[in-house]
Formats: sequence, structure tokens, C-alpha cells
Amino acid sequence: MSERPTTFASGVLASVPIALGYFPIAFAFGVAATKAGFSGAEAFALSLVIYAGASQFLALALLSGGVALPVAAFTLIAMNLRHVLYGPSLMKAAGEGAGRRHAWAWAWGLTDEVFGAALGELARGRRFSEPFMFGLGIGAYGAWVSGTVVGAVAGGGALAAWPAVEAGLGFMLPALFLALLLSILTRAAVPVIGVAAVATVAGTLAVSGTAGILAGMVAGAVAGVVRK
Amino acid sequence: MRVEVLALAVVVGLANYAFRYGPIAARLGEGRAGGAMARFLAATGPAAIATLVVASVLPMMGTARLPLVAGVLAVLGLWVWRRSVVLATLGGAVAYGAVFALGG
Repeated sequence: MSERPTTFASGVLASVPIALGYFPIAFAFGVAATKAGFSGAEAFALSLVIYAGASQFLALALLSGGVALPVAAFTLIAMNLRHVLYGPSLMKAAGEGAGRRHAWAWAWGLTDEVFGAALGELARGRRFSEPFMFGLGIGAYGAWVSGTVVGAVAGGGALAAWPAVEAGLGFMLPALFLALLLSILTRAAVPVIGVAAVATVAGTLAVSGTAGILAGMVAGAVAGVVRK
Repeated sequence: MRVEVLALAVVVGLANYAFRYGPIAARLGEGRAGGAMARFLAATGPAAIATLVVASVLPMMGTARLPLVAGVLAVLGLWVWRRSVVLATLGGAVAYGAVFALGG
């Protein structure tokens, strides 16, 4: 089998599906922000500094609703707690001796989708490399920030005349997650996936969407420990 | 630029950075291969992605279901056909939008 490239450029290339998914969602975020009364600069700052999609949408609702700043911060931080697991899980998949000297730079880009894509690449035989991770992250980050700016400039109601386009864009992220899941699917992972799915539904119905996400991830990972 | 927006962004952004980089810097989860922590971390990836699939599809279950069925089938079909994440993602979104436009 020929070795697949692990350069910065190959990382950027691998980020294309993520960028294609991110740009329209970030566009929708920019539109939603201006619709909610935020300035273009504020929408840009939220994407540049927070860089976590779902919690950015929630930040709009919390700030518009006049929720106290510490409460809003705590809610958003709790929502992103799942990211704690991604770094160690990725480094475990990368194997012993995998470089991490420049992780201070590429780890910032370790979102749900970048983590999923990196894992998929490793599962398909690509060797771990920091330049690749940096390229993967920068492509996704660039699409997120630029999509936000374009959405904020287009302004609230930009997609009102195109409901089918808006609907299709709304399905982009679920489609990306499903494709990523298919890309890492193995027979051994099936029980873990089943447990995670059931726990997510149960947690969401019983408590909230955020609780469902945490329940799914933890229950699925625990299922991996129990199942030898 | 309102100060409270910037303050919230900085606090949440710093926490995100700590969550993403901190565990790598601290070399968390490094230990015996095949140990409980190793199996936990190996299962985290599939568990996280499966969770995100379900969490992102659940809110769409209550509205138009035909576009959702079309979108999911398109992703599955394109993946089986080409093994391409890009094509499956784009095809799924196009199928969803097309069936939505047809009044599904």
C-alpha cells in the first residue's frame, strides 16, 4: 500500500468536506446574529474566538434574552465539555511516538468534525502528522470564520426567498456527521454506536439536548470499556 | 462592539482552548495499552460521532420527514457507491433540499 501524504496541503485538502459543511452553517449563524441585533463585528468575534457552532447559536439566544453573563458563560462552557475527550482519544489512535510539539497550535481546531475527520483518516491508513492536523484545522476554521462574515454582510432574512436552499443547508451538518460515522464504521464499533445512540435519545428526552450529548458520549465510551 | 459580547466570547473561547489542548499537553489517558482507559478512549470516537448524528437528526424528526428520509438514504447510497465523505455530505443536502422543494 502506498503511503498517503501527511503534509499541510493534504490536511487542507482533507478539510474540504468540513469546509463545505461549515461555510453554509456559519453563513446561517451570521444571518441569525444580525437578525438578533448583533453587529457584523460581534458575529465575527464570536466565530473567531469561540469557534464552536452550537454554543454560538445558543450564545445569541442567551445574550438576546438578557441572561446574566456568568450564567451564559457557564452554560456555554458546560456545552463544550465533551471536547476534553477528543485530544487523548486522537493521540491514542495516532499511536505511540505521535508528534505533539505543536499541538498548542493545531489543537485549537479540534472541533467535533475535525476530530471525526482526523479519526477517519487514521482509520483509513493515513499516518498521523502535525502539519496534516494543522492543515485540516485551518481549512475548517477559515470556512467557519469567512462563512460568518458573508452571512453577517448578507444580513437577516437573506435566505427567506429560498426555503429549499435553507432546508438543504440545514441538513448539511447531520449529513456530514452521518458520512463521518460511516467512514469509521467497523464491526467492533457497532455496540458502542448503539449504546451511544440510545443514551443520546434517552438523555435528550429526559433532560435536555446538551445532557443527551454528554450521556451518549460517556455511555458509548463506557460500553467500549465493558466490552472486551 | 459591546463589552459583554466580547467578554463572553473570550471566557468561552479560553475554556474551549483549554478543553481541546489541555488534555493533550497533560498527556491524559496515556497508560497501559489494552487497559480500561485505552479502551475508553478508543471507544470515544465512534461514541462521539454516533451521538452527534443522533443529536443533529433528533430535532428534525418532528417536522418534514420525507426530506429527512431522502437525505439519509442519499448519504448512505453515495457512501456505499463512492466511499467519499464530500460526495455523501453534499448529495445528502441536495436530496434533502430537493424533496423539501417538492413539498415532501
